[in-house]
Amino acid sequence: MDDENEKTYIWEGDYERTWEAIKEDETGSLQTVVDDILHRTKRRRLLDRPANVRLGMLLEHFLEEYFDHNPISQVGILTTSNKRANRLTELGGNPKRHIAALQKCVDKQCLKEPSLQNALELAATTLRHVPGHASREVLVILGSLTTCDPGNIHDTIKSMKDLNIRCSVIGLSADVRVCKRLCSETQGSYSVILDEPHFKEVLLEHIKPPLATASTESSLIRMGFPQHQLHAEKDKLEKPSMCMCHLDSKSTQGFSTGGYFCPQCKSKYCELPIECKACGLTLVSAPHLARSFHHLFPLESFQEIQLSDLQESDSRVCLSCLSEFKDKTVYRCARCLNLFCIDCELFIHDSLHTCPGCTSTRPKML
Amino acid sequence: MAEEEESSLLVVIVDVNPIWWGKMRIQDENDLKFTQCMESILVYVNSHLMMHRSNKVAIIASHTNSSCFLYPTATPTTEEEEDFLRDGKYEHFAKIDDTIFKEVKKLMTAHTAELHIDTLLTGSLAMALCYIHRLEKECIAGEKLKPRILVIKASDDSASQYMDFMNIIFTAQKQNILIDACVLDKDSGLLQQACDITGGIYLKIPQRTGLLQYLLVSSENIFCAFSPICSTCHTAFKIKGAPTLKKKKKKSAAVVSIM
Repeated sequence: MDDENEKTYIWEGDYERTWEAIKEDETGSLQTVVDDILHRTKRRRLLDRPANVRLGMLLEHFLEEYFDHNPISQVGILTTSNKRANRLTELGGNPKRHIAALQKCVDKQCLKEPSLQNALELAATTLRHVPGHASREVLVILGSLTTCDPGNIHDTIKSMKDLNIRCSVIGLSADVRVCKRLCSETQGSYSVILDEPHFKEVLLEHIKPPLATASTESSLIRMGFPQHQLHAEKDKLEKPSMCMCHLDSKSTQGFSTGGYFCPQCKSKYCELPIECKACGLTLVSAPHLARSFHHLFPLESFQEIQLSDLQESDSRVCLSCLSEFKDKTVYRCARCLNLFCIDCELFIHDSLHTCPGCTSTRPKML
Repeated sequence: MAEEEESSLLVVIVDVNPIWWGKMRIQDENDLKFTQCMESILVYVNSHLMMHRSNKVAIIASHTNSSCFLYPTATPTTEEEEDFLRDGKYEHFAKIDDTIFKEVKKLMTAHTAELHIDTLLTGSLAMALCYIHRLEKECIAGEKLKPRILVIKASDDSASQYMDFMNIIFTAQKQNILIDACVLDKDSGLLQQACDITGGIYLKIPQRTGLLQYLLVSSENIFCAFSPICSTCHTAFKIKGAPTLKKKKKKSAAVVSIM
């Protein structure tokens, strides 16, 4: 019987027979008990903090992975609490800046209700000016079950749809109808997490870029490849100057001699990729562009083959790591017909995006 | 407190393009020959193994139509082949030397297909990364593996592999694998980028016959983690201010010249 009692849900346990805890003290007042309960809730918030930090760490991991796979994409972070939405970081392509901003808000407390509508409106104003060839996405990570909105949220959902912004929500607690509707209207995905590993899995699914919709403009894009100039070189003296990205900020950040110079109008920027504020040219670096190619030319998945089905002439070791096949299934690249072990197969598809077998053989000349 | 076991894994990728090596032979009799190059690499690999008992090596040959492991090999050597123990050489070294010698011979005689002037370096790098990935997974808790790739390249870049090459470089960067390059002939734009992105050293050798010295000097005396005391001669370095990443490189270069 005792076992059964312990198996009740956590949230039930918390609220169970709370009235029994309230007892009058010697003076007949309830004050001390109320104080005690308040004290305990405060302590719980302190104890809960590691969970908060973990969420931050997961987000940091997400950002790192995201930029590793989509180096020419940009991310901005918004927060919502106390019925307001705040812009934590501007749209930008530098993961370090976002992570630093996230780390700063570890101690920040979640006050009052969030506002989904305000957050979406703010996101829309940020994404409205993104050029038509880019995909616009909003990912909401929502712990709350309620939202405090100034107007009709369905109008906001409609305007998000009109702006072609894909909204996805990861719910940390339970299914919320408004979120579900938001996702289905804007072609996003809605998921509610089960536990921490599941959250990580769901979050990392959002790394892949969305499928291009018919309404996405396909156009040729003019791009500039600015060269990074470090400190003033002797032959061309570069005077210290403000970079364009920090021009509006009041801090001294961005004032230096080095930076990326737009090949068209010579405006200076401290990070890539960015759209030149003066002449509108998209500025990227060549390796970054090459990095995002693997979305366009994904590596075909390997065929699963049972170890017992292998021919006599087939190799019994993995081509790329030389380990002997021990598992029952091995993997064969459909193009070069080489065999790989499960570990290499995962590694090749998750991060290499290049088959070691195909790249070590020359494609047959037709 | 138990000291953390840290072993260093060195993967050497050698360009064995027969066209380039043959051309060198015709142009100048006294220039570096392929056999000399392999000998230099063997000495270098052996000295790397001598630095620490848990150091590991792997050698990959990068041919014009294929890449293959020279050491370790997929097929384990059979007992009867172990006749290299006779001359009193350290067993481990003798085994490596012998295996590499045999594999190179096999590779050189087996190749009859159409030859190209460029080498398929990308495939070799991909194999190296997979191999490193496997060894890192096999590491037991408390053991740390420091992987490094050294590319010895002679022939031209293969331009058709640019995209795959960049994929691999970014993976290496993510996995914290250094790529050092030692270029024997023309400058390689791809490798320069690779070294720059992963933080390795790019070296174009002015005098090819001195390959071994360049290898030993440039790679063995680099202090992978900054230490204020020289690990070889226990000299305390003078440190001016906080050591930044840039200073670190200069410092190790300076130490090399002193020694």
